[in-house]
Amino acid sequence: MTDQVVGRSVPRIDLPEKLTGEARYTSDLKLPGMLHGKVLRSPYPHARIVAIETAGAERLAGVHALVTPFDAPEGKVAPDMGILNDEVRFVGDEVAAVAADDEDVAQEAIGLIEVRYDPLPFVTDPEEALRPTAPAVHPGGNLVGGRPLSLERGSIDEGFSEADRIFEDTFTTPAHSGGALEPRAAIASWDAGRLTVWKSSRGVHQDKHMMASALGLESDTVRVIGPHMGAGFGNKDETRLAILAAILAQRAGRPVKIELTREEELIAGRTRHATRTTIRVGVKDEGSITAIHASTIMDTGAYMSSGPGVLRRAGQGALYLYRCPHVRYDGQLVYTNRPSAGSYRALGAPQGHFALEALMDRIAQDLGMDPLDFRLKNHVGPEGQPGQRTTPPDEIIDTQPVEGGVPFSSNGLRECLTRGAEAIGWRERRRPSGESKGPKVTGLGMSMIIYRGGPGGRTAAKARLTAEGGVEVVSGIIDVGEGAATVLAQMAADEMGVSYDSVKMTLADTALTLPAHITAGSMTTFSSGMAVKAASAQLKAVVLDAASGILDAGVDDLALQEGSVVVGSDPQRRITLAELARSAGGKTLEAEASVLPGSTKSIINSFGAHFAEVEVDLGTGQVRIVRFVAAHDSGRIINPALATNQVEGGVSQMLGFTLTEEMITDGRSGFTLNGSYLEHKGPTFMDYPDIQVIFADVVDPEGPFGAKALGEPPSVGVAPAVINAIHNATGLRINDLPVTPDRILNAIQMSETG
Amino acid sequence: MSVSHAEKISLTVNGQEHALEVDHRWTLLRTLRDELGLTGAKRGCDRGECGACTVLLDGVPIYACQMLALQVGSRKVLTIEGLGDASKLHPVQQAFLDYDGGQCGYCTPGFVMSTKALLDRTPDPDEDTIRRALSGNICRCNAYGRIMESVKAAARGRAKDGR
Repeated sequence: MTDQVVGRSVPRIDLPEKLTGEARYTSDLKLPGMLHGKVLRSPYPHARIVAIETAGAERLAGVHALVTPFDAPEGKVAPDMGILNDEVRFVGDEVAAVAADDEDVAQEAIGLIEVRYDPLPFVTDPEEALRPTAPAVHPGGNLVGGRPLSLERGSIDEGFSEADRIFEDTFTTPAHSGGALEPRAAIASWDAGRLTVWKSSRGVHQDKHMMASALGLESDTVRVIGPHMGAGFGNKDETRLAILAAILAQRAGRPVKIELTREEELIAGRTRHATRTTIRVGVKDEGSITAIHASTIMDTGAYMSSGPGVLRRAGQGALYLYRCPHVRYDGQLVYTNRPSAGSYRALGAPQGHFALEALMDRIAQDLGMDPLDFRLKNHVGPEGQPGQRTTPPDEIIDTQPVEGGVPFSSNGLRECLTRGAEAIGWRERRRPSGESKGPKVTGLGMSMIIYRGGPGGRTAAKARLTAEGGVEVVSGIIDVGEGAATVLAQMAADEMGVSYDSVKMTLADTALTLPAHITAGSMTTFSSGMAVKAASAQLKAVVLDAASGILDAGVDDLALQEGSVVVGSDPQRRITLAELARSAGGKTLEAEASVLPGSTKSIINSFGAHFAEVEVDLGTGQVRIVRFVAAHDSGRIINPALATNQVEGGVSQMLGFTLTEEMITDGRSGFTLNGSYLEHKGPTFMDYPDIQVIFADVVDPEGPFGAKALGEPPSVGVAPAVINAIHNATGLRINDLPVTPDRILNAIQMSETG
Repeated sequence: MSVSHAEKISLTVNGQEHALEVDHRWTLLRTLRDELGLTGAKRGCDRGECGACTVLLDGVPIYACQMLALQVGSRKVLTIEGLGDASKLHPVQQAFLDYDGGQCGYCTPGFVMSTKALLDRTPDPDEDTIRRALSGNICRCNAYGRIMESVKAAARGRAKDGR
């Protein structure tokens, strides 16, 4: 038998080429005759562009093409974003673009474009933006969609009337950037009316449709290729970048590359949405929960992007993490004249969980309960929520349900709670809040996590036998740096019964692959895993069928072993896969499968519990993470090393969100003040704490090889675990992120002056 | 008006001498990437903040975006391409492969070069020394935990091989 590789820490499939510098990212590519583009950006948070004078730029030697709102095609990049608009909506919004011989000339040309702006009133605060008198960022008002999102199970009025006590508080989280190390880049090249684009992309098929639609092209005339990507975090794209490159390339008649600078990437990329969440919870004196009501105002900045999805996801914790018959979520997505927010790892879930889990912790303490016991008593169990199923019996259950009456396919939340608590020493080491004394105080805090488990939309994949007797997996997804290619190769190897080393991955090229979901929403392991598994199983059947004729044996008597098809009853009779590939007479042995991932019977969700130990310096306000334990139920772990890396990375990344990171936009000028790594302070090696990762012993009955989603859940529980630990250490209630030293010191001062 | 000035220089990269004509404004990073096609050093910020462009100059790690090509002079440049190739990885690269010391890979060449420089001068570093030596390299995937294990493994391997 060929050794099974699912569940083993085989090396990351593309790491060798990344380690030698051979891996090519978009910015590393160079086409013959390629020009370089630069973008002119708005210095105003809101303005109408009255006129643009480009003559000076056009006269500059080495300038080959320009595009402005007055000569750009009519199309739309998104429903609320034209290719270029004559109204700019944030400082950094795209005004015009230039292509020139090199970046220096392009930059100089940008400086020679004269723009006459008519500045308009602007608004940078979402609550102000909701007032009737506020300047309209877009026609039709600042509330996206014109009305709030409202979701309810049961009746919160009934729930609150049953409560002995009602708790309420308001929490805020800032905009921050994923800040992927690779700034967005795109190269566009035209050949006889056909457009090829290489770009940083979370989904080449989605980008192809976006580009074709914006440029008014037939979809099959556009090819999008995703080279290696310097991290995605679900971000990349939702911007105009590739469209501008395509228009410039068309006008210049030569390929054009645009690479964003670091500052552009941070400001004009897409940030996480800032939120303000008020949460209200009714409880019985004995600690059961009677009602939960969360209301979130979310700042989407200048454009909607994926905001509606982000808004929805911010509510899922309140709706589903605790067993409760009466819950409600109200969300408002609001335009402001700030940099546009978009998709970033776990969308709104970290913001929603922050408010929910911080308040639940304080409720437990006010009730005199240990926060762990409160959660063990109230967390949603394998049976799901009380109530009636509303989804018709033959329809797939949404992974973000509101309805009750539907069980989970698997739910390892309790195991995460108990094993995580044991690892951090919760029972032995946690003292009541505020009891720690000294200039440096310590405390423990925790949080729970619920998140979509991985089913996306319909997903296809192909598998074929290569001339060397290996398996080539062909999938439309892209590995954004998280390890999808490795995990899918492992699944293909085991399903086919071939060695991991013999699997080759062909991904992220719309000309070579079938449509697939985007690499976001933690969908890839589950959804593309199912598609690759199904395609591999079918290829195996095709291979055995072909071998059956050659070996003159029934298919039932054949097995795939170490690169050969072997006759079970007479193992001397065998044919290697390489021989089989050659004997097919020029015909490639291949198979494809299309799957609709999901379940009609159960909710597929991932779970987790996070535990933080912090030390707070009461003199300086510095918070140090002493230890962090992240316990996750992501079903069966396909590659423990990669999964551990993913969880550690997600936790550390969100310690930045919790303690230091914020995109600061000045309310008076609309300027974003900290478009650099030095000032948008993400974690460095010096900040990385001791992180212990635990995986619950769960095999999901629906997931491919028992797997569920992993990519985003680690980022969901970090902030509340830390804020709760800070409360435990200091007794301070801090409701606003990031928890900077001055916020701690202010809170100390407030508590002293009472 | 564009103010540019070109000068002929000789640049020694990965043991090979290159006669080049460079614009006086070009950084070493731009020269490596655009003129020599050595794209392993990445442009993550172009302003000395992220370390993705780290190369060694006479064995000392530097940000290639913070030095002009004209400033290099006779000093020897080592880039990731000069370390090892896929068929024969350098022990530091092998340790990063064995311990999954990277995710998206954009920071990886920089981390590998900083690690090589560290181990060349401090063969048996403790954790704090490793952190400090690599604190000028940012990994936004935050794979620091696995990078730490990779560096420690590289140091152990070196001690065992007596190199």
